[in-house]
Amino acid sequence: MGSSLTVVRAGASARAEPTGRSVSGTFEQRRRRVGIGFVLPALLVLAAVLGFPIVQSLLLAMQHVRLAAGHMHVRWIGWENYTDLLADDSFVLALANSIFFSLGEVVLVTSIGLGAALLLNHRLGRFGILRVLLIVPWAIAPVANAVLWKWILNANYGVLNAVLKSLGIIDHYVVWLGEPMRALTLLLLVDVWKSVPFIALLFLAGLQRIPRILYRAAVLDGANGWQRFRFVTLPGLRNAITIAVVLQTIWSLRVFDLVFVLTRGGPADGTVLLNFLAYRVTFNFLDIGSGAAIANVIFAMSFLLAILYIRLLQPTKREPAS
Amino acid sequence: MRDDITHLFSRRTLLQGAAGAAAIGGFSGLASRPARAAETALDVFAPLPPDPSPPGAAKFGEAAFAAWQQAHDAKVKYELLAWPQLHDRMATAFASGTSEWDVVYMCAWVPEFIDFIVPYADKLPPSTVADMPVSSFKTVTWDGKRYGAVFTLSLLTLFYNTEHFEIAGLKEPPKTWDDLKRYTKELTRDGRYGWVLDYADSAGIGGTASYWMCFLQQAGGTMYGPDGEPVFNSDAGVAALQMMMDLMKLGTDPGSMSYAGINDATNVLLAGRASMMMNWPYMWKPAQDPKQSKIIGKLGGAILPAGPAGSASIDGTDAWTVTATCKDPALATKLIDFYLSPEVQKRQALDTGWLPIRISVLGDPEVQKALPNASIVLEQAKHPYNSFVTQNYNQITQAIGTEIQKALQGRQSAKQAMANASEQVTQIIKHS
Repeated sequence: MGSSLTVVRAGASARAEPTGRSVSGTFEQRRRRVGIGFVLPALLVLAAVLGFPIVQSLLLAMQHVRLAAGHMHVRWIGWENYTDLLADDSFVLALANSIFFSLGEVVLVTSIGLGAALLLNHRLGRFGILRVLLIVPWAIAPVANAVLWKWILNANYGVLNAVLKSLGIIDHYVVWLGEPMRALTLLLLVDVWKSVPFIALLFLAGLQRIPRILYRAAVLDGANGWQRFRFVTLPGLRNAITIAVVLQTIWSLRVFDLVFVLTRGGPADGTVLLNFLAYRVTFNFLDIGSGAAIANVIFAMSFLLAILYIRLLQPTKREPAS
Repeated sequence: MRDDITHLFSRRTLLQGAAGAAAIGGFSGLASRPARAAETALDVFAPLPPDPSPPGAAKFGEAAFAAWQQAHDAKVKYELLAWPQLHDRMATAFASGTSEWDVVYMCAWVPEFIDFIVPYADKLPPSTVADMPVSSFKTVTWDGKRYGAVFTLSLLTLFYNTEHFEIAGLKEPPKTWDDLKRYTKELTRDGRYGWVLDYADSAGIGGTASYWMCFLQQAGGTMYGPDGEPVFNSDAGVAALQMMMDLMKLGTDPGSMSYAGINDATNVLLAGRASMMMNWPYMWKPAQDPKQSKIIGKLGGAILPAGPAGSASIDGTDAWTVTATCKDPALATKLIDFYLSPEVQKRQALDTGWLPIRISVLGDPEVQKALPNASIVLEQAKHPYNSFVTQNYNQITQAIGTEIQKALQGRQSAKQAMANASEQVTQIIKHS
């Protein structure tokens, strides 16, 4: 009751003073102040939970921080950790591996996800069970998923070798994780398997928002299947595809569990990704400063992508009708 | 009627009730406090079985453990973690100052965490120390002080499939490097491999670099000179790696490059798909378990084949240490003394397969009968078994192991690998 009265008063004042500083404006300012007051505790908590670690990580990366012989050795060294990274073969290899991994992941997940979404959107694919089956890989806990694939890819007992051999595709068992490039590619495929469901559902939601009338109009215009996909489906999914690409790139930079469980970065550092390297340098080598520098590189990459993501999510401004 | 109920459970009544309950709770807390204060709690950080775990955590000595707690009016709480995660968990807890442990398992990490633990082992009962191999204190001693007590004699020795040997007409285990190469080649047949090991993980005890350290010592080499600088880029270092590369070509299971833990490689031997490997003593027991093994009664053991300088191994260095923040160091020392008692050591050997460290228990006829490899490990202990533990052991073994892996894949020569590894280790030492 009180709030409705306030609204009425505010509206009346606005009519009485159409120009200059209005009571409505004052109310709006008060409302904003109260709103900020309510939001402030949450902002403070966020600043403490998110801001503090970020600032701390930035500061750590500017120092030589190393746990050795039970002592925490701390010394300010400026940008040295970052410049050292550029000369570090392990970092360069991990960066190259991460770029390969991210590119491969985005291309494969997006294209397979789109294909799956198109199939599920077809009238024959609209059974609920298919969607449940699709979601299974995504629902499996990350470490459980990694352990599952560790056994599938086992050189001696793995089901992959058994199936391929029984089909006559290979004549002897393959050591899937025994060579750097092959192992990295397999890690990529395993992560693609896990990531496709979410992206497929994202695309499916996008597909269902495309008005059916556009397809009917395209048919009436004589468009074939490819042309309908090219000129109706793809433009309709533009936003979903962009968001999927950005999100998948960010997620691929965070991959850790697969490397930790399946290869530990081996063989010969062939599967070390940036995230795993940051972990190894920090917790295995106890070189906390260098580890923070690597983590900050990942953070910077993710942050830039996140900004891009937020910009893409902003609604586009419509041009006023002339 | 509804009003009555509302009245009965009014806010005031509820508050009164809560206050009353709190008062009763507080009173009962006061009443029971003297009884609780007498009981001391010890927090122990240890690996999950099947890695070496204490009584009460692994299935052995449970009754004795309960009796010890009762006798000392103490409650021992275990925090157990899979072995590969122990180091990193400890590093995080110690660095952040959040460790609440009193007794901590260590494996080659004593120099790394030296200021977080105390040299309690100097005060172990003389009778206990006298019953342990002097060399067992080597990896837990720093600046002349003993920071830990190794609780299982864990050296790498040779395990082999006796049935495969018979089929190949091999009468006895390989004694020299030449034997080992010849055997590996001859045993690689019928879809089986002569040799298997886990080479995927470079670092730490049980990593690729640590396996190479066995061959390095067998070749007469060592890791560091008197000045602490690396000296492994030598004829011995190259020969050790060349030996591993030769074995790779002659009949090592190619999957070895992808096995990231000893259990992966052990499974291959226990399935009868490989004929030889070096492994820790615990392997004997699972090899006799029909749920885990297809080679029951077919497992043989021997000391590692001799290189130019003889046989040599590395030490698993599984030890108990007491933290600097320990709530009751005297009680913690007593607990470790209990872990090292002959009764517990015997049950540890018989029930888990992890050999005792006490010489008297190793010589016990019942232990010898149940674990025939005990005498082999004792024999191996007569030869060098240096694990070359240092403050930056993980970083150094990571660097060496990665170069070794490249050589094992044929991407570089043994000489090049040693040169690269030496250069990296020099830099690591320089920057640490």
